[in-house]
Amino acid sequence: MFNYLIRRLLLMLPTLIGVTAVVFFVMALSPGGIGASLLSTEGALRPEERKAMEAYYKARYGLDRPLPVQYAHWLNHVSPIGLKTAGEGFPSSWKVGFKYPDLGESYSSHRPVSQMIGEAVPITILLELLSLPLIYIIAIWTGIRSARSRGKVLDVGMGFVLLAMFSMPEIWIGMLFIGFLTNHMSYVHWFPSNGLHDVQSDSMLFLPSWSGGFQRGWLLDMAWHLCLPVICLSYGSFAFLSRLQRGALLEALNQDFVRTARAKGLSERVVIYRHAFRNSLMPLITVAARILPALISGAIVIETIFGVPGMGKLAIDSVFSRDRELLMGITLIASLLQLIGYLIGDVAYAVADPRVSYVD
Amino acid sequence: MSIEAARINDGAAGEGTGGSPGAPAPGPSGLGASGASARPGALLVSEALPASRSLFRQAYHDTLTRPSARIGLTWLFLLAFVAVFAPFLANSRPLLMKMAGRWSSPLLRGLTPADVLLLIATFTAIIVFALRLSIPRSIGFIAGVLTLAALPVLMLVKPPVNTVYSRYREQTALGKIQWSLLPPVPYSPTDRLRDQPDARLQPPGREHWVGTDTNGADVFSGLLHASRVALSIGFIATSISVVIGILVGGIMGYFVGMTDLLGMRFIEIFEAIPQLFLLISITAFMEHRDIYVMMAVIGATSWTGYARFLRAEFLTIRKLDYVQAAIAAGLPRRVILFRHMLANGLTPILVSTTFGVAGAILYESTLSFLGLGLVDEASWGSMLQQARASGSGFIWWIAFFPGLAIFLTVFSYNLIGESLRDALDPRLRKRD
Repeated sequence: MFNYLIRRLLLMLPTLIGVTAVVFFVMALSPGGIGASLLSTEGALRPEERKAMEAYYKARYGLDRPLPVQYAHWLNHVSPIGLKTAGEGFPSSWKVGFKYPDLGESYSSHRPVSQMIGEAVPITILLELLSLPLIYIIAIWTGIRSARSRGKVLDVGMGFVLLAMFSMPEIWIGMLFIGFLTNHMSYVHWFPSNGLHDVQSDSMLFLPSWSGGFQRGWLLDMAWHLCLPVICLSYGSFAFLSRLQRGALLEALNQDFVRTARAKGLSERVVIYRHAFRNSLMPLITVAARILPALISGAIVIETIFGVPGMGKLAIDSVFSRDRELLMGITLIASLLQLIGYLIGDVAYAVADPRVSYVD
Repeated sequence: MSIEAARINDGAAGEGTGGSPGAPAPGPSGLGASGASARPGALLVSEALPASRSLFRQAYHDTLTRPSARIGLTWLFLLAFVAVFAPFLANSRPLLMKMAGRWSSPLLRGLTPADVLLLIATFTAIIVFALRLSIPRSIGFIAGVLTLAALPVLMLVKPPVNTVYSRYREQTALGKIQWSLLPPVPYSPTDRLRDQPDARLQPPGREHWVGTDTNGADVFSGLLHASRVALSIGFIATSISVVIGILVGGIMGYFVGMTDLLGMRFIEIFEAIPQLFLLISITAFMEHRDIYVMMAVIGATSWTGYARFLRAEFLTIRKLDYVQAAIAAGLPRRVILFRHMLANGLTPILVSTTFGVAGAILYESTLSFLGLGLVDEASWGSMLQQARASGSGFIWWIAFFPGLAIFLTVFSYNLIGESLRDALDPRLRKRD
């Protein structure tokens, strides 16, 4: 198992290099290149100022060098082992050794990229950790219900409704939620429309309190703000998992041990939940890792609609401000998270199913 | 020997009954009843099938009889009709009018070359369908007619560069146009109703069936015209990704070993970035995002699933006796790859293609919604974006109807995909 983990972790390296290379060269080969796009955010400049700015940026970020060199430079910055650089600019010495990985500085906000990502990642992970159990609970419940009434109206109807939910675009549902449920003027205002906290959340107590009228406190305020984003992120994934649970449970119910359990005279409840259900959970564990990408993609849209300052919103902002360092950092971290998600899924599979082993 | 092997394999290609996507060990099983009856699942299928029907005909029949697939197909046919005849359904130009004693048709004059070619293709397709030609022949026929028509159409069809839409309404009001026949929705999507001062943000009503937008344009007309974008992007982007997927997956599955290992890393690279994220990074740095660029970008980022599927199928199929026999018989590699392996390995791809079209439509609308979609053409996603960008609060009809159109189209493709999957999967037939 240990060897397997090491091998998988090492295999991540070429993938990560490939991922960042794809994004880097897509950006670099875009018309005008990154230098021109940096300047487009600076507004109107006189020609000589413009030239000076361009030269400054090019020298500062090494944009005047050939593309592969720029990429290698970025890679050297990021990797924990590599050429040690003295100060800014290109490596001045050729000493190789361990160093602290550096994601660079954002072009648009002039803050360290690692700091910006460090603020955004926990929020996105929180969103996903809240959605994942919700998705699983509802999908397992509906899956069991439709497997038990297979072929009947409930089963067919549930399949139809879940597929419909799967087909609803998040952009549409998000817009309708914001429009109808957070609207002071013409509809109801049950939820806040934007952000993760209220403006006054800093002065709130952590827990709700009832001293002198109800105060919702910091925690409840955040939960209130997270309601709609989490619903939007979750509803589309029910269909697939529920269908999977239904199929797995039906498969388990066809097995000999279930027939034995029934022949012993156990109640249907015990047969389904004790015997069949436990054995039907395997496929759901394996796909957990495959749902994560969908959730990350979903987070991009949902964080943008609901103004949640997570990775997705940061990615969109970096794309619109053409911030190469930030976008590269986000690409690296997002794909790293995703690869780790895949790995956890595979390991969980081996842990849950004694028949699977990675020892060879 | 080689002829015999080829004949048997033709049978397998035509009616690969047990192709059974997702089955633990997809066997050859199309080799005839004796081969198939060894497996319980396949036995049931061969009982259910009349011997003369091929797998695809049976699946086609099964899919068509399911009510959910029928709902989906009905909506898609309606949408295809709307997409082809959009200029005739929603247009500010009269279809026929009499002005100063002269008859004319501004609508026909205003058609673009693309409109005319689309109409020619549609009518050729109807004729071909009536003649009941075989599929390769009819595709060739339509392609031939289009290439023949392309040059004269491009030379002769010259729509006016600028049109003042309100002119027709004003002249009718003045009585200069004595008689005119208007399309059912008498507004073009780009007609901003400048002659009507209070045309902006009108709620749905008799005049504008689903209201007007912030510019004063009729939303329903925009919806009808944007159906073209959704349908064509879905189709062509998916075709591109299927072709790439088949190439990469086929090469990996056939030439195992180093090619396979490198190919898998290549696929992993694309799967390690969330697809929407990759799409955003690519489209944001593109200046000219017309419909062809969007098709290419969406197609070039969504092929990994197909490649994985085909690779897995090929890895199983290449070990099977009939392929080994074909190799032993010395058939050329081209024949082995295309006639024997590809024909049998395509079944799982067929199902995921349907879901792929739905996904492509969703991606296009999401990109348009984020402001990274088509630049000079309205799509359902960019119409939905208007509801977000408009500074005048929440206008429910701009948000609701374009989203509903996306939802219904995606839902239709998913319904058809599910029915197709159930029809092609013999294991499910046993169960239900």
